Amino acid sequence: MKVVDARGKLCPQPIIDLAVEVRNSNSGEILQLLSDDPATWADLQAWSRMTGHLSRQVNSATFEVEV
Amino acid sequence: MGSVTAIFTAENRIHPAAEAILQEAISQGWSDPTKLHHSSRRLAQLLSEAQASFSRSLQIPAESIHFLGEPTLGFHLGANGFASSGETYLPATSRQEAFAAISSRQTQTLPVDIQGEWAVPAGEREDLLIIQTVNLETGAICPDASHFQGDLFVDSTSDPLGKIPKNWSAALWDSVSWQGPRGLGIFALKDHTRWTNPLPHNDHRVVPGGANPALVIASAVALEASIAERRTSQDKLQEFNSYIRSYITSEIGDVDIASPINAAPHLLSFSFLYVQAEQLVDDMEKRGFSIDSGSACISANIEASHVLAAMGRLTHGNIRLRLYPSTTREDIEGLLINLKDLVEDQRRSL
Repeated sequence: MKVVDARGKLCPQPIIDLAVEVRNSNSGEILQLLSDDPATWADLQAWSRMTGHLSRQVNSATFEVEV
Repeated sequence: MGSVTAIFTAENRIHPAAEAILQEAISQGWSDPTKLHHSSRRLAQLLSEAQASFSRSLQIPAESIHFLGEPTLGFHLGANGFASSGETYLPATSRQEAFAAISSRQTQTLPVDIQGEWAVPAGEREDLLIIQTVNLETGAICPDASHFQGDLFVDSTSDPLGKIPKNWSAALWDSVSWQGPRGLGIFALKDHTRWTNPLPHNDHRVVPGGANPALVIASAVALEASIAERRTSQDKLQEFNSYIRSYITSEIGDVDIASPINAAPHLLSFSFLYVQAEQLVDDMEKRGFSIDSGSACISANIEASHVLAAMGRLTHGNIRLRLYPSTTREDIEGLLINLKDLVEDQRRSL
């Protein structure tokens, strides 16, 4: 599983880092996003809705996204 | 930094009609209107006329009106003055000031959907529901709350034209929302019998300190002018609102529009994906356009807008616009061209 480590970065950088990695990944791949920015889960859900991806929260700072 | 040519922020310059009268009102407003001197009686008369003007403009009885030197105090008066045995309900998109004001009561935060809509509870007689006639950020209009059984505290601080339900118990307005002078709130109380003053008090007055008479007089003038202008500019503002929605969707893209389609036309909130709002707001200011944002990076408490988060909307890259009767087509065109340019610039690094 590819890991996007955006810990220590503030919005919108975690979502930008994720989007760049999504572009370089194949459909169906699962990416793990690490982010301790409190806005990430809200923004990840909105991003998923806008871009048509599935995402879930594993714990407070770990998220998974299906490309 | 260049000079600002177009203002789209929640606060704007004082209305010219109010500015013109403010200096004269300060000259006449120095005395104590409760005393019997000639100047006091004259000031009391002016205040009475201002109260009647507010009554006409806001369509509430003159005797229900109380002036506040600090508008935010009204949230405390409305949230904590009613019977304390029931539940307090408020939607998740209420103003932070409303949440902050609730002290000892059992509180239920009502969830909202992605359009900002929420279900009005039936409630019981001892309950309190706090509603916002028009959401300050998104312009979402409050659902019909006329069937609520308890007391209804109406926050109308975002829009003097917000509809006050017939079963209102208390209501609050902020002079800033009609380009009146800053530092004046209006708190209205329909029925004193169910309300107990939550402030320290030693007489029957709702607000012991009152407000600066000059601000009251100037604000009444601003409100009359502002309402007249709003009524004649509704169609124009609706057209601008639709045009902005269409432009940011088709010409810029990757945008999440938080304002529902049937929201008040003068308020519009939307978020650009992959955009840092702080930089966008700064860059727009340099180009002469003053705008607001609900994103975390420019919020005073470093938290993203709770309104956007509650609705499940994108919280970064957020822009909040307020359109005024004085806003021109040229202002809108300039705003949109510069937004497009700056958003594309930020996204180039993606």
